Amino acid sequence: MRIEKCYFCSGPVYPGHGVMFVRNDCKSFRFCRSKCHKNFKKKRNPRKTRWTKAFRKASGKELTVDNSLEFEKRRNIPVKYNRELWDKTVEAMKRVEEIKLKRQARFIMNRLKKGKQLEKEEAINEVKKNIHLIKAPHAGKAKQMEDKMVQKLQEDVDMEDEDN
Amino acid sequence: MGKSKQKGNHKSDKKKNIAKTWKTKRRTKDLDQIHSDMKPETAAKLLHQDVDYDVTGCAQHYCLHYIFVDMRSLKEHFKSKVHKKRLKQLREEPYTQAEAERAAGMGSYIPPKTIEVKTQPVEESMD
Repeated sequence: MRIEKCYFCSGPVYPGHGVMFVRNDCKSFRFCRSKCHKNFKKKRNPRKTRWTKAFRKASGKELTVDNSLEFEKRRNIPVKYNRELWDKTVEAMKRVEEIKLKRQARFIMNRLKKGKQLEKEEAINEVKKNIHLIKAPHAGKAKQMEDKMVQKLQEDVDMEDEDN
Repeated sequence: MGKSKQKGNHKSDKKKNIAKTWKTKRRTKDLDQIHSDMKPETAAKLLHQDVDYDVTGCAQHYCLHYIFVDMRSLKEHFKSKVHKKRLKQLREEPYTQAEAERAAGMGSYIPPKTIEVKTQPVEESMD
């Protein structure tokens, strides 16, 4: 007995659940629920359907290439029961799962950083574009002109002093 | 190339009961089946079938996913949007159970390869 994976959404298919479709060329397809089966019948592409795992992996939403993903495998060789091996395997599974979850979480946090950066850029752009709403275009212009005048007069006076 | 001709949404018998078109007994070929048909040996076999009077057009006018009445409609089909769209879909490697399992965390992701797909050459020998 094994927990199969759904053809469409890649979710687990526990014994006694879901549907298996056998096509007329003997190829079998397992589905975890009627939603996946219906979508298959409509010939939808799992890579293009946004809620499937296949989509999330194909479009870079989730951690795709990592060593922690290499442990879970379809092993077709039967292993003789050995208590020590069993204990070790269970321990290893727990540890691998822990590492995997941590890495996946970190990947997603890193992915979301990009959005924050874009948001900030967008905000700065908006302020730059609509600066006239914050500061009137002629605000402080009169004072600036006056300052300039004073400076020029001062310069003229200095020049005259030098000439004499 | 313009938009493909709209077939009508209300009077068309085909759309009266769309759930019927998804029934297993009306199931048409899947993309991965077409891919296996496109392998040179099988393709050659499918494109040069014996004359069968029970099949449309005696099975002589075969596109890798349809059978046609005569050469003219086959050529017309090659120019159509349906055909070009299908070619585009076929350009990507078919989805498999193995890929579903990889997506579920059994192995790393392997991006699908692109495959070159062309319209089959038309043979003018028969008329």
